[in-house]
Amino acid sequence: MRCEEVQEALPAHVKDGSDSLTVRRHLARCPDCKAELARYESLMGGLRILQTTSVPVPPGLFDRLLEIPARSSRLDSARDHVVRHRKVYVGGGIAVALAGAAGAALWRSKVRHPATA
Amino acid sequence: MKRQKATGDRAERELVSSDLIERCKDGDEQAWKELVEATHRDVYTLCLRILGNPADAQEATQDVFLKVWRNLSSFRGEAMFSTWLYRVASNTAISKHRKRKRQRVNESGVDDEVLAQIPSPGSVESAAGAKVEVERLEEALALLPEGLREAVVLRDVYGLNIAEIAAEQKISETAAKVRVHRGRKKLKEIMFPEKPGTETEERT
Ligand SMILES: [Zn+2]
Repeated sequence: MRCEEVQEALPAHVKDGSDSLTVRRHLARCPDCKAELARYESLMGGLRILQTTSVPVPPGLFDRLLEIPARSSRLDSARDHVVRHRKVYVGGGIAVALAGAAGAALWRSKVRHPATA
Repeated sequence: MKRQKATGDRAERELVSSDLIERCKDGDEQAWKELVEATHRDVYTLCLRILGNPADAQEATQDVFLKVWRNLSSFRGEAMFSTWLYRVASNTAISKHRKRKRQRVNESGVDDEVLAQIPSPGSVESAAGAKVEVERLEEALALLPEGLREAVVLRDVYGLNIAEIAAEQKISETAAKVRVHRGRKKLKEIMFPEKPGTETEERT
């Protein structure tokens, strides 16, 4: 088995223990591939550790998440308003869609936050 | 960069009690505050890992919690809340990608220019076998092409299986497997760049 083929098999080998005897035999006598194995092992180990860590949350995000119930009901009532009055508008479906878009735009405008980009 | 330790394994922890969820369904804003407090770090972190930049991750996090608030009544409690939440979050983040991708061309992979931005570690010999630094790993993930990043993050960080990833990415299982594999290789190249001039012949 050539080094290239062995190294191609290494990620799955490390992750799923898909152990082939040929791969193991090659690793036992090839320092290059063994070094490559060590790299994948520390990489996969690192990725597993990420699962139990979180990154710092940008300031202000928490507060904006707390506003969601209030803002959401405001958007809903805006939409309800349009739905209730849809017969007044020409083409109710379009009006509702527009209200949705307007709501989304309103949402976005408050959401954007160039300071943290 | 300061990091917080989260509470444990995704599959084994429940971040919020069913009582808290019931109170949120009733519109209790104090309960909502507790729910957000308990979960927003993990959601933001997942969004950041999938999207690769803080601005998009913030936007996605807000979309996630808006969806949670609106759809909480349909959450019946037979699934774990955290599983449901992670699903909403990865869905939201991935569809944000897809929306943006239509406007951009970005599938070529990691080129040398991108690799050059990464601070070079010590020698490969000393780096391999040593524990990889989580901060560097987050940075390296952010440099992967979107599709590969999503696949690796879902598979190797959050432990989804290939079928689940294929469903999330709306691709075949074979394609998902390929993405995971290519993503791991790219990530390895970023984390352990070959020193110029030391490439072995079989690794051209
Ligand atoms: Zn070899």
